[in-house]
Amino acid sequence: MSRLIDKKLSRRRFIGLSSCTLATAVVGSQVKVLRALATSGDISAPVAGKDDSIFTTCGMCVNKCGVIARVRDGVIRKLDPNPHFIKSRAMLCARGNAGVKVVYDPDRLKYPLIRTGARGEGKFRKATWAEALDLVAKNLNTIADKYTRAGVMFASTEGTYQDHFFNQLAECFGSPNTVRHPTLCLSSNIQGFSATFGTNPTPDVLNADYIIMSGANRSEALITPDSIDMLKGDGGRRKVIYLDPRFTKTAAKADKWFPIKAGTDMAFILAMINVIVSEGLYDKTYLQNNTVGFDKLLPHVASYTPEWAQDECEIAADDIRKVAREFAEAAPKAVYYQGRRSSFASNDTQMRRAMAILNAIVGNWDVKGGMLPNAGIKLTPHDYLAPWYDDVPERIDAGSVAFLSEKDGSWPVVQERVLAADPYPVKGMMIYKQNVLSSVPDRAKTLKMMDQMDFICCIDITMSDAAWYSDVVLPEATYLERQDPIESLGGPVPVAVFRQPAIEAQFESKPCLWIMQELATRLGEEIAETFDFTMDEYIHHQVKNNPQILTDLKEKGVYFERTEPNYGSTLGKRLKTVSGKIEIYSQRYADKGLDPLPVYISPTKIPAGKYRLIVGRHAFFTHGTTANNAYLHEIMPENTLWLHSAAAAQAGLTHGQTVKVRSSVGEETLNLEVTDKIRPDCVYMAHGFGVLSKGLSNIYGKGGCDAALIETKYCPISGNAAMHETLVEVVPA
Amino acid sequence: MKNKRFAIVLDTKRCIDCKACTVACKTENHVPLGTDNYRNWVGPEPLRGTYPNLGQTFTPSQCQHCSNPPCEHVCPTGATTVTPDGIVHVIEHKCIGCKYCMTACPYDARYYNEEIEAVDKCTFCSQRIYGENGQLPACVETCPTKVRVFGDLNDPNSDVSKLLAKHPSRVLKPAQGTKPNLYYLI
Ligand code: SF4
Ligand code: SF4
Ligand code: SF4
Repeated sequence: MSRLIDKKLSRRRFIGLSSCTLATAVVGSQVKVLRALATSGDISAPVAGKDDSIFTTCGMCVNKCGVIARVRDGVIRKLDPNPHFIKSRAMLCARGNAGVKVVYDPDRLKYPLIRTGARGEGKFRKATWAEALDLVAKNLNTIADKYTRAGVMFASTEGTYQDHFFNQLAECFGSPNTVRHPTLCLSSNIQGFSATFGTNPTPDVLNADYIIMSGANRSEALITPDSIDMLKGDGGRRKVIYLDPRFTKTAAKADKWFPIKAGTDMAFILAMINVIVSEGLYDKTYLQNNTVGFDKLLPHVASYTPEWAQDECEIAADDIRKVAREFAEAAPKAVYYQGRRSSFASNDTQMRRAMAILNAIVGNWDVKGGMLPNAGIKLTPHDYLAPWYDDVPERIDAGSVAFLSEKDGSWPVVQERVLAADPYPVKGMMIYKQNVLSSVPDRAKTLKMMDQMDFICCIDITMSDAAWYSDVVLPEATYLERQDPIESLGGPVPVAVFRQPAIEAQFESKPCLWIMQELATRLGEEIAETFDFTMDEYIHHQVKNNPQILTDLKEKGVYFERTEPNYGSTLGKRLKTVSGKIEIYSQRYADKGLDPLPVYISPTKIPAGKYRLIVGRHAFFTHGTTANNAYLHEIMPENTLWLHSAAAAQAGLTHGQTVKVRSSVGEETLNLEVTDKIRPDCVYMAHGFGVLSKGLSNIYGKGGCDAALIETKYCPISGNAAMHETLVEVVPA
Repeated sequence: MKNKRFAIVLDTKRCIDCKACTVACKTENHVPLGTDNYRNWVGPEPLRGTYPNLGQTFTPSQCQHCSNPPCEHVCPTGATTVTPDGIVHVIEHKCIGCKYCMTACPYDARYYNEEIEAVDKCTFCSQRIYGENGQLPACVETCPTKVRVFGDLNDPNSDVSKLLAKHPSRVLKPAQGTKPNLYYLI
């Protein structure tokens, strides 16, 4: 508390290494920017009007919190949280609040652009929509004629609620090559938990008495309502155990932080299972009735003792034993929280399987405080008949991993195979707001993959790195300017949401649906027919069987049918696994030649002078998309490389020094942050910096890009990228 | 009608340093961009302990709306004044920019706003609390973990009164005699 007086100083400390950027940070207020844009003719001047409050949904991250946009005189003044929005407990985070700046951002894409210089040179000319769309359609058709329709790949973001239209265009155009974010994020979680429970359940954080989180940094990687509920212990009983090579803000809130050795989580989990089964801390009848393969688990974990795990994960055997006993004692109100991003290591799916099995044996399935099945809000889907083309081959990544998602593919595999034209060439790329150069590992390789394309089109709201390397850039209306369809957000307490425009779309930006319809018209009658509807018709069709959804959305911005999970709804019923029970032993895996029970593999030893690069999130940034936002930028103007003080001393490196970080695939330059908040064998840098695009004026030239360093590795079961397997060296710049 | 005595009670144990409050305040109150311009802030306290036994707390703060405000005492023009409900604020057109108040404030709660050419600070979002819908201050409303609770200390049934009756609390720099109205639960 005594430090409050030093607040200005400490602010300088946390923006730390880049105090030189401070001076330039003072630019005009939003109104000033607006006026400036108005006098430059970029937008019309604010007109007098009345105050409006519009229900909509945040579009800054995956959580989609309920928002009330406060509009005055045609200008969005403020975004307030929607008090009815139960999923996020009526809050908006820093990004949600900073959403105003998304609309009034001088860096926004304003018109369609056509590249005039070399790729990546950043030379574009303004084009009309008609000219730009004609050019896109012409190129797609040329590539289809030359290489089949699989010759165009479609990379899509999620959560705009209009991504469905982009994926519909991909399907109707006839390309099997769609890629989305799951294999850069959570696909091994989905795979590992689904193999066990038939679904990827949601931990009942609000009601659990004992929560173990490994690598799920909930106080910074915000997931609603977990980030909030995590702190709400019931009568002080709640205990949070946190495992992470970094002392994050979640570690600061946890009852106990273990700086686990990166890549060894499975050892910790298997040892916990070992303790629970060898000490008989489970309910035998429950396991007999509800699971398959428990008998095979006993011999399987016999050698995975706490003493064995201690050497692997560098957590004392006694601590592992204690946590295991406390966990079993608190069960069934105890969860081993699986987190969301599971792109850690190439054995990630098996690690998630171990997590799922640990949860299963303490009987926390579908009970209060345990692991809950998800539900959704029923919406009537828009059916369409995709045209059939016979000469199209299967996905380029087909057969690469054991369980490949038909629609999402595996990004690391697609990157490698496109580059090798294996088994066929892909020469066109349609990108919808996925900043592939920032999110896909090995940026140099992604650049090469893009280099060999005949044509790239990117739809976005700012000049992302992906847009910067595209041939045609199309400006989408932002989430605050669009009418978006209704979306069901699944979970134990599902809600339905939508978006209404707070203001009209600025500049010449257009919603995705309009862009898809215009493209469809140019690509052919059969494709255009599938888009023969207006947004209004689409939404009314969605609620055809339940008009109350729309009524509630208009009246309170959110629709839900219950405020509490429907506990026990699956008990006594068949689960969506092969056996219909919880599968501790997976026959399905055995049939595919995979380990039917999770087998531990030690991570590669880190040689002297090298560090393991780990990546992670902040509460201020969503992937590579928000670091340029003026409000968020001033919270964190650039990223730094975290290195433990002992490791820094040994390497002769000092705090604030500029360093080069080198991996086998790239080299980045950024400032060093010497801190004790990380294990001495790891280094960490925040995601979203070191951009290539000069169109991101706040952050261009600042910090380093993690994707430029991470090597392409992936899980052979789910196709999920393995982002913590890259070793780097750090040298003075 | 009885006047109010507005106050905020903070439970810093719940703060995750997400900075939602600072961005909400900036947008609500047109605080210009720049790290020297702020009405509220969150101070990450220094790391405690040695690796691997570490601890850290985060302390959000803002103007303390003191019952004995030194900023008001030093203001030569009467620009800094206190409303009957206890809100310390600056009357923009009376402010000559001498910054005496900024020096006098022991909490460093004031900044000079170049756009309005006056010193600016937290007003408990008076435009919201007295507004048509009687909204909460922006920082209070937006906080994910609901660290701040806002209310009237003159009303014994308000949430702030009840919290203070139930839990021990403290104020910042009590020795300065400023009588702050921001209470931190212990
Ligand atoms: S968590 Fe933040 S960014 Fe994500 S939807 Fe909610 S307010 Fe928006
Ligand atoms: S919004 Fe709440 S949790 Fe976030 S920094 Fe502010 S006080 Fe802390
Ligand atoms: S009460 Fe309003 S003005 Fe004061 S710090 Fe909170 S948001 Fe800012």
